[in-house]
Amino acid sequence: MVKVYVNDKEVEVGEGSYIIDAVIKAGYSVPTLCFFKGIYREASCRICIVELGNGRLVPACAYPVSEGLRVYTNTERVRRNRRVILELILASHKIKCQSCPRKGGFCQLLDLAREYGVEGIPVCAECPLHGNECLLVRGEPCLGPITIAGCGSPCTREGTICIGCRGPITRRDVLVEAARLYKEHKIPLEEVFSKMKLFWNNHPSLDKIYNILLETYNGGEKK
Amino acid sequence: MTWTLMDKCCNRCWHSPEYPCRHYIRCRLSGPLCHEDVECRVRRSRRLKEIRYGRHGFKINVPLASCTIAAGAHEVYEAVVKEVKSRGILADIHRTGCMGMCYIDPWIELSKKGMPSAIYANVKPSDVPRIIKEYLEGDVSSAFALRNRTGNAKGEDKVPLLDELEPWRNQVRWVSRNCGIVDPESIEEYIALGGYRGLDRALNMRPEEVIEEIRKSGLRGRGGAGFPTWLKWKIAREQPGDVKYIIMNADEGDPGAFMNRLLAESDPHRVLEGMIIAAYAIGASKGFIFVRAEKPLMAERLSKAVEQARKYGLLGDNILGRGFSFDVEVILSAGAFVCGEETALIAAIEGRTRPRQRPPYPATRGLWGKPTIINNVETLAHVATIMAEGWEKFAKYGTEKTKGTKMFCVTGSVKRTGAYEVPVGTTIEKLVVEIAGGPPEGRKIKAVQIGGPSGGCVPASLLSTPIDYETLQKAGAIMGSGGIVVIDDHSCMVDVAKFFTSFTVAESCGKCFPCRIGMKILYDILEKITNGEGSEEDLEVLEELGNVIRSSSLCALGGTAPNPVLSTLRYFKDEYLAHVRSKRCPAKVCTKLVEYWINPDKCTGCGTCARNCPSKAISGELGKPHVIDKSKCIHCGQCYIVCPVGAVEKR
Repeated sequence: MVKVYVNDKEVEVGEGSYIIDAVIKAGYSVPTLCFFKGIYREASCRICIVELGNGRLVPACAYPVSEGLRVYTNTERVRRNRRVILELILASHKIKCQSCPRKGGFCQLLDLAREYGVEGIPVCAECPLHGNECLLVRGEPCLGPITIAGCGSPCTREGTICIGCRGPITRRDVLVEAARLYKEHKIPLEEVFSKMKLFWNNHPSLDKIYNILLETYNGGEKK
Repeated sequence: MTWTLMDKCCNRCWHSPEYPCRHYIRCRLSGPLCHEDVECRVRRSRRLKEIRYGRHGFKINVPLASCTIAAGAHEVYEAVVKEVKSRGILADIHRTGCMGMCYIDPWIELSKKGMPSAIYANVKPSDVPRIIKEYLEGDVSSAFALRNRTGNAKGEDKVPLLDELEPWRNQVRWVSRNCGIVDPESIEEYIALGGYRGLDRALNMRPEEVIEEIRKSGLRGRGGAGFPTWLKWKIAREQPGDVKYIIMNADEGDPGAFMNRLLAESDPHRVLEGMIIAAYAIGASKGFIFVRAEKPLMAERLSKAVEQARKYGLLGDNILGRGFSFDVEVILSAGAFVCGEETALIAAIEGRTRPRQRPPYPATRGLWGKPTIINNVETLAHVATIMAEGWEKFAKYGTEKTKGTKMFCVTGSVKRTGAYEVPVGTTIEKLVVEIAGGPPEGRKIKAVQIGGPSGGCVPASLLSTPIDYETLQKAGAIMGSGGIVVIDDHSCMVDVAKFFTSFTVAESCGKCFPCRIGMKILYDILEKITNGEGSEEDLEVLEELGNVIRSSSLCALGGTAPNPVLSTLRYFKDEYLAHVRSKRCPAKVCTKLVEYWINPDKCTGCGTCARNCPSKAISGELGKPHVIDKSKCIHCGQCYIVCPVGAVEKR
């Protein structure tokens, strides 16, 4: 048995086990994405990084324990690194939450993004969790596809449209996807714009959002 | 076939790879040891003299390594052969390796009994008849340098001695001692110059004593990280199990670093000898040489060295009758930069592609799950030399924490490009300015990039930093494999950072997210800044992202990849700010931020610029000064390049 200190809490784990085993045994948790016990232990997503006593950042899933190892799972540095890594993952992730098969509520990425306060995921990703019917299908100009998620979609749960109180997403691919949705459900963009003015009138990138939406909305017809 | 030192002198000599003799190496030079025969002794000493001075008392050295061949050494070699034949003189035309002074490539060295041995620089094939004629007439006045003085050649006092030349005088040629002297494809010459003595000595010691000897010498891995070599060996030695491996990392990929190629091409037997000693010390039974396929001559020479060593019983079963068996296989790498990282290297040999998380370190669990030692070419060459010369001579050089010498390749904006071996702790200034000659006239050193694409930029104000693992780390760079790129004031630091980042973006294996996605975003931001679309927030993002990539990447490639960006941000923040604030490039390199205009005083009105302008932004009558229309200009810089009188200026 090897003695390990997780967040200064002493815990004993078997030899040859990894930090993640000790962390779980100590009652803490570490987020993981690529790790799958017994099948995949390659440490490629780096979301499970923890800080060692000597200040090094190592992945908990693939770093073997040694006697007297000190592990800190939730320091400021760890959280900052995790947040940046999440941003990186989302930067190359196609956010099409409306058509993602995981929208039933077990998207780890979405959970993590909410926990670490990463922007870039639209309200539409959370809305179906509560079994709501999509308001866009009803033809209402909901701002869900272009508003930052994290509120838990209380408005749509009550059957009213999202009015974008959490601010707009400025990512191009999200906006393109949103414009495609609006077009699919034949919602005129002018109505969406008028809703946007309510909270976002002074937003610096409002023109950019307008342009991207308009471009895709009108440009799509040609194809 | 002429009789060589490696052959039996008479039938009483019984050594063969199947029945090895303990005294084989010593016997070659001071033999025969097993029997007394004047004839055999005379035969050996005569052959030794032949190797040193040539069979006919006239020796012509032509360097044939990748670098000199690129400069035209093959043509020079052919011209020498032709000239010697047509003159009907008796001369040994001797192929050697490169001596590391790239700026005089291709050189030839003529040495005749009673004459000083003269080196001629930048030889063209058409010069060869003149050089040989002059030399045979006793005139050395057109030589570049002399190895020695005899006083009976014409013009001798005008030519400097090689030892007096700046780039040579300040060097300590420890591992590179044979480079440019010995024939890399001949084991006989290497042994005649004292080779394989270190192996002979090591095999007489216990493996623990060999490790102790290396510990006393203070040798640290020359591949970049500077891990103590003896400690690595000790860990591997103490691992249970009888199957262990040793791998020579000859996968040199840094742009601007070529010391491993130079060593392995010019003196492959020294490297191989070091490898056999290391294998003996850790108890390895099988070794692999991992060579870049893009360096075919290096692979060829190493394979030849392995073949020769096997032929004379220096590899194989029961080496030199000491009961130690070891064999080597040469493996060609596919040429990915990441394969220089040890776990990726192991994966490449196993047939996979990517690095893995350490620990377990290869010294405990490496190739096919067995303890594996991976040493750099230069480290192994050091091992061979230390075992031959003793640790005291090695530990004499260097600093307190790092002993010995290190080879550095100085490239970029310097007068004397080349690979130079200096003691560790030499200041950057001495290496770059004294040895390599500094930048060309009229330019100033702005920064020195040390350690290749994963190293950092050290600004000119820190040139007095001694080169050492610790001090460089403090300055924000790493020693790396020892590539030094000198950047002068005509370069833009943002552009330099972008260049190195583009290299690591292309070479990232893509396994871990910070390196794969982060480096791409880093590159995109740099591109944005050089295009004049950056903002001050971008600089903060660069710094934060760089730090995250550095601390959370999987392997050393990602762990060091943001170094060029972070170090330039640290020392050249004003240049970044000039790019994002006033949208100007102070060094006038980033074409999008440079405004081109035609100086009417210089313009002759030839119209070349107008014809070459892709956006038809230049107008004017023939014979009269032309004008650039700023609204149409796309900043391609074409007019600047083509203008025959230099009238197009940047501002």
